[in-house]
Amino acid sequence: MFFRVIDKERLPDLIAGLSSEYEVVGPVEKDGRFVFAPISDPAQVRLDYDTTLLPPKKWFLPPKETIMRFCRADEEVVDDEVFAPPRVLFGLHPCDINALLLMDNVFLEGYVDPYYKARRENTLIVGMSCMPTETCFCNVWNTDEVHWGFDIFLTDLGDRYYASLRTVKGAEILDRHVANRAVSDEDTREFQRVVHRFKQGFNNNVDTTQLPVLLDAKFDSPIWDEIGDACLSCGACSMVCPTCYCFDVADRLEPDQKTGLRIRTWDSCQFKEFAAVAHGQNFREDRASRVKYRYYHKQWGYLSKFERVLCVGCGRCARACPAGISPVKVIEALQTGEVQ
Amino acid sequence: MAPRVVIVGLASDFGCQVQMTNIEDDLLDVLGLIDLQYWQLASSGHMPEEYDIAIVEGAVTTQEHVELLKRLRKTAAVVMTIGSCADTGGILALANCVDPDVAYAAVYGKGPEVARGRRAPGPVDAVIHVDYRVPGCPIDTDEFINVLSRALQGLADRTPVDPLCAICKTKENVCFLDRGEVCLGLVTRTGCGAKCPTLNRPCTGCRGLAPDANLEAARAAFVSKGLDPTELERRFDLYNAAREVTR
Ligand code: SF4
Ligand code: SF4
Ligand code: SF4
Repeated sequence: MFFRVIDKERLPDLIAGLSSEYEVVGPVEKDGRFVFAPISDPAQVRLDYDTTLLPPKKWFLPPKETIMRFCRADEEVVDDEVFAPPRVLFGLHPCDINALLLMDNVFLEGYVDPYYKARRENTLIVGMSCMPTETCFCNVWNTDEVHWGFDIFLTDLGDRYYASLRTVKGAEILDRHVANRAVSDEDTREFQRVVHRFKQGFNNNVDTTQLPVLLDAKFDSPIWDEIGDACLSCGACSMVCPTCYCFDVADRLEPDQKTGLRIRTWDSCQFKEFAAVAHGQNFREDRASRVKYRYYHKQWGYLSKFERVLCVGCGRCARACPAGISPVKVIEALQTGEVQ
Repeated sequence: MAPRVVIVGLASDFGCQVQMTNIEDDLLDVLGLIDLQYWQLASSGHMPEEYDIAIVEGAVTTQEHVELLKRLRKTAAVVMTIGSCADTGGILALANCVDPDVAYAAVYGKGPEVARGRRAPGPVDAVIHVDYRVPGCPIDTDEFINVLSRALQGLADRTPVDPLCAICKTKENVCFLDRGEVCLGLVTRTGCGAKCPTLNRPCTGCRGLAPDANLEAARAAFVSKGLDPTELERRFDLYNAAREVTR
């Protein structure tokens, strides 16, 4: 990795320059909140955004996607092309970049997902530093720092950005599109001061020591029933989560019944039919078991396979859940035996 | 041989039958799949004696409707309902919230006399078994085609059982509850693509109570958002006042 500095007022040059080569997607305002959307003018980009309604995963795994068309008569695939235009995701916070790395374990290892892979390969990532909000708890999983998974990472030093360049491509595009200079000792000192201030800004300090042990010990705890009673099984938590990757695949016929579409949509373990199988069996019929499963999978199941928890502490689920259920609250409830 | 289909209307404003004519681009394809023997809205012919699929619109409001439905069920291999009226009793079921004699008198003057054979308005499945359903007010034409093709292929009914919020989240709508407004999406059956919230209108529950809805949790969610929990059910009555009758 190496480093450059760019003046803050020159940043639009970078965005405009990237736009000449790529589709640039960045945070823009929507009804008082923020979304990642294609940018037509650098002025639309809101780098002061707190978090977005949906995480960047939608640009790799869309909520709904036709993965192929088939002809019914001869059972042949007629179209399975992957739509993966050259794109830059601009302004991702560390949690969201870390979340993509966790998704990679699932979609790029073992059974490689060609749709995800094509988009991942055609997408550059430009990260952006942030300040913790009330719902952020990336600090507890160490996902407040990111060391790879981006091409450029910009840290806001007030009047300038400290640009960490992780890839050759990142260095090239920075050089091509925006005036930049070498890093001075003072820049690096300021960088460290900024990062330190950022780390001081968290107010969620939930204790995650030996979390898998806690989870196993509390497997039959009535806490789960209490949380289950409060849950609406709406699946909002999974939709907004940058690390929830479950999907459903279903075929449907075109109106003429001659050709069909195979469609993939986001799914949620909170839905009643998620664990239903043939003959009407359902492994997780009741709500409590479904909520419990979400936490077990994220903080134990995935961990046992990939040595990381499947959560980056972005707080989106805490904001989206109508019942106010969140990882911080669930872990605290397991620790104290009381749902707050 | 293409399956013989009849389309029958009970008490409704025919909106869903009109909506079927809005299929436009795909209407000919759809008509090519079936042998449409009778369509109440579009023809003046008579119901045939035999048919394979009965598509029913409208709420059950009279004894005559009950008899008709029993006949349909006996004859047709497949019964499919379309629209809120047939699915939940719809807006007509609001009549269940008032004294029927008073209501009839207010509307028809003479009251009970004109209302011979009347029945508390309710959904089709309160009278007969329904195989496939297309909920909503009005129906979504795309969903209608999809459900019809499932029926034609003999595939299982897949009417969703979950609430709306998940799909609403995928549209990146700012939740009405967070804006201090009542929205019924958290208990309403999904499948509409959250059209209303996406058009900046709260969900009014036209697709009925999601079978897996958690009403008590929804009331608690209303309270935590500073909303009156009694509003949840009061507003839900708009399309779902018959729910106590049948569920
Ligand atoms: S579980 Fe919640 S906090 Fe963790 S990554 Fe998912 S949305 Fe973010
Ligand atoms: S968002 Fe909350 S209420 Fe909805 S399924 Fe998730 S935990 Fe349950
Ligand atoms: S706006 Fe309505 S449907 Fe959308 S998430 Fe909120 S309660 Fe659910």
